[in-house]
Amino acid sequence: MSRKLLIIITITAVLAAVIIILPLALNSVYWTSILVLIGINILVVSSLRTIKLLGHISLGHVGFSLIGAYGSGLLATKLGLSVWLTMFLGGLMAAVLALVLSYPFLKVKGIYFALLTLLTAETLRLITWYWKGFTGGFWGLLKIPSPGPIVIGGLTIDFNNVNSYYYLTAIIVAISLFILYRLENSHLGFKWRAIQDTDVLAQSVGINVKWHKMLNFTIACFFAGIAGALFAHFQHSLSPDANARFGVLMSIYLVVYMVVGGESKFSGPIIGTVVLSIISELARGLGEYRPMMIGAIAIVFILLIPEGLVGLPFRCKLWYRKLLRLTQRGSA
Amino acid sequence: MVLLEIRNLSRRFGGLAAVSELDLDINQGEIFGLIGPNGAGKSTVLNMIGGTLAPTSGKIIFNGEDIARLPPFQRARRGIARVFQRDVLFRSLTVLENVLAGSSLSSKSGLDGIFVKTPSARNREKEMYEKAMEMLRFVNLVQQADEMAVNLPHGNQRALCLAVALATKAQLFLLDEPLTGMNNEEIEAMMGMIRTLRDEKGITSIIVEHNIRAVKGLCDRIAVLDYGKKIAEGLPREVVANKTVIEAYLGVEGSAV
Repeated sequence: MSRKLLIIITITAVLAAVIIILPLALNSVYWTSILVLIGINILVVSSLRTIKLLGHISLGHVGFSLIGAYGSGLLATKLGLSVWLTMFLGGLMAAVLALVLSYPFLKVKGIYFALLTLLTAETLRLITWYWKGFTGGFWGLLKIPSPGPIVIGGLTIDFNNVNSYYYLTAIIVAISLFILYRLENSHLGFKWRAIQDTDVLAQSVGINVKWHKMLNFTIACFFAGIAGALFAHFQHSLSPDANARFGVLMSIYLVVYMVVGGESKFSGPIIGTVVLSIISELARGLGEYRPMMIGAIAIVFILLIPEGLVGLPFRCKLWYRKLLRLTQRGSA
Repeated sequence: MVLLEIRNLSRRFGGLAAVSELDLDINQGEIFGLIGPNGAGKSTVLNMIGGTLAPTSGKIIFNGEDIARLPPFQRARRGIARVFQRDVLFRSLTVLENVLAGSSLSSKSGLDGIFVKTPSARNREKEMYEKAMEMLRFVNLVQQADEMAVNLPHGNQRALCLAVALATKAQLFLLDEPLTGMNNEEIEAMMGMIRTLRDEKGITSIIVEHNIRAVKGLCDRIAVLDYGKKIAEGLPREVVANKTVIEAYLGVEGSAV
């Protein structure tokens, strides 16, 4: 038991060290910006997986990110509220919308739920597109401020600096992931798994299935909203364009990150997002063919390694055994 | 003492009356059989008691409270447990976890266990674990505690269903064809368990079952439904010899082919 704890502490320490050192070692505004976006995506995909614990796939998770992003951005630009407050409020607005929508949405399952979320996200995107007077319309929401500087022991941290924003993102994402992880491993997560297995039996052992579904969806969308807010104050501008952050394609990418990483484990979305984002970044030279490449990777994974990257060790063992059997048969 | 009173219970599907004006009294601690030809409305009655189907009209009074409009999870919290027809189990959970899921409602699990494992949360977990193991001992599944529930043979899965229901601390069990698809040995074991539930834990059971011989041997009282109406009620011996019942099952003499 203590040995297991030691391993966990070591891994956490190494990861933390890598996360802290990375921007300093890279020393590149470009790559650090990529890391910030990866961090934000990790949070969105992980919260997407929280919904998947119930067996639901949301194809409109970006819609709740949009609420968080525009909510926080508008509160900061129009009302001049502190960004520290608006980021939280952005998450809260996404959560409130999710809570309201969850009541009708979670009555359906499977493809119907996926469609409802997809259409919701598109509706929200189109509202921001056409509501020029409020959201800036297709010109986008511009001049979104960074979080105000904070002073710790005489040291002023300014968040216009990409490295400070990177650390801010790392801290917020780490805290959020910790919360999601603990929820999943608590009695709540246990009941969510039970509901995914069979909601009929779940309710007949006294689990309030409807309430749990609403709670799960609301929590997941809160974190999608927080991720959206982080995005808004990093980019300083938001666009409702279909090819930008809040389009259908992005929603599909999020699901692909989750599937390629492996949805069975908490680490799956994190691994999937990191690996695919880096591959996608390195393949920037492919230009408009990049989505095709991501698609090809997704197809390969779904067909050959449906458990995703987290299931790779298990798959390799399987293939190795198969190979062994084949060679033995060949030599016999 | 009457545990469950059903008064004037009806359920219509469109113009068709699946159950009409049914009255039943189920006593505390009895095994009550609900039989009848296919389509007689037995499962409809069970679904209405369990709450997965809303009655069109009528009352279902459990422990003095009308529960006819409550959602299923509220009924479970009041002490009604369902044992479903097919092997409805939590498929991604182990045998032990299935029972733990069943007991989750009786545990007052608060928010304190989520972020920090407080001593009280830890104690509660230990207590739940021990209780779950006791349930497994009751249905003879201790050895299989860590196996995946879906990998158990059929008979054991049904036994696990009982353990899950037992874990909810229910007073009333609703068993939907608990003996279907079992061999004689498994049927004997299952009937033994249902009897032990009554004798040792005072649990009341309502059983819907096709196997008349088993029902005769197991049940304290029987009601027979035909076309959604109760046509007979009483001791198994009497009911099986009842002329109306025989006609309902076999058709009126001479009219059948």
